[in-house]
Amino acid sequence: MSTPSPRIISNEQQTDIVRLVVQTGMRLQQHGAESKLVEQTSSRLGLALGLDSVEIALTANAIIVTGLYQGRCITTTRRVFDRGINMHVVCEVQRIVLLAEKQLLDCDLVKDRLERISAFKYNRWLVVFMVGLSCASFSHLFGGDWTVFAMTFIASAFAMIVRQELAHRHHNPIFNFGVTAFVATLISSLAVRFNLGNQPELVMAASVLLLVPGFPLINAVSDFVKGHVNTGMARWGMATLLCLGAASGIALAMALTGVRGWV
Amino acid sequence: MELFLSLVDDAFFSAIPAIGFALIFNVPKRMLVLCACGGAIAHSLRTLVMHSGVSIEWASLVASVTIGLIGVYWSRRYLVPRPVFTVASVIPMIPGTFAFKTIIGVFTLHDGGYSAEVMASVLENGLATLFILMALSFGLALPSILIYRFRPIV
Repeated sequence: MSTPSPRIISNEQQTDIVRLVVQTGMRLQQHGAESKLVEQTSSRLGLALGLDSVEIALTANAIIVTGLYQGRCITTTRRVFDRGINMHVVCEVQRIVLLAEKQLLDCDLVKDRLERISAFKYNRWLVVFMVGLSCASFSHLFGGDWTVFAMTFIASAFAMIVRQELAHRHHNPIFNFGVTAFVATLISSLAVRFNLGNQPELVMAASVLLLVPGFPLINAVSDFVKGHVNTGMARWGMATLLCLGAASGIALAMALTGVRGWV
Repeated sequence: MELFLSLVDDAFFSAIPAIGFALIFNVPKRMLVLCACGGAIAHSLRTLVMHSGVSIEWASLVASVTIGLIGVYWSRRYLVPRPVFTVASVIPMIPGTFAFKTIIGVFTLHDGGYSAEVMASVLENGLATLFILMALSFGLALPSILIYRFRPIV
């Protein structure tokens, strides 16, 4: 890492820089970056803007940053609310930090650019269509025929609509996953009831795969591996609860329809 | 030839979920192609390795190490953090069915009382979930554990 040329920073400027650092870290953590990336990226910003050192403590739902300059410490804490995984934001934040590191952006420009990042989202119907197609592809990979493919598409597309609606109303994600899995299993049990396709129970297995919390699980293990055991445990716990929620929905739907299907 | 065709089929139908989940993660548009390529390479490579008699856990590790290394190249080339495309690429290999089978097995164990068969299936599915997941994320993390130990990739 290149050390920037020494410059004089006033007390107010130091406060501003620390605020930018904590905001960078907060946005990364809110949008699903792993802990090492959060720590690395935000401390690089602090060093690029002229601090002597940056110390960061991450917990599951807060970030604490201390910026040191010539023996003067400024510490600040922010509460982190989960805003859903958004790689677009992560990319943009990373770009700003890289530009600041090349000394192309000063403190004000960084602030301006950070505030201008808006969480880009894909069109919801495109997402519904592609997620339906994704689960249908899973059923194909498991060995289902085209009837199974079509049924899986219908079940998981409807489930995705439910998931988006509940997420839009800010319901608890665990509850959301339970309801979504319930709907998916209810629709796909029709395939078993009417014996559609070569292996109708594959519809039930594949249509709930949109609910596997893949990103939190991978982040959890990679936090563990890179030494962030406490955030890793928090992510693992959350991912397990999400799986548990989805499995409850599946079990409830199975008990209701009496179609056991794939378990 | 037959193996080749089945691998092409495999690659195509695992590129779709990689894109689908990349949309859920709001991966920027120009990275979607990379997610698709990554998903196709990873899953078809795993199928190929499993075809030569390797167990699913080790095959997943091979596939995810490959994606992790390709990810280093892409990440340095396009200046974006690696998880942007590596995670979507391994999504088709995430053991979702194993995970749900484990938990529903636990429910069944509680409902119908203890039985050795259900217990065996819970343990087998649970361990498969755990080991495949460990293999996937350890494989992705490998370049930054071994090569980029003290410096960031981008």
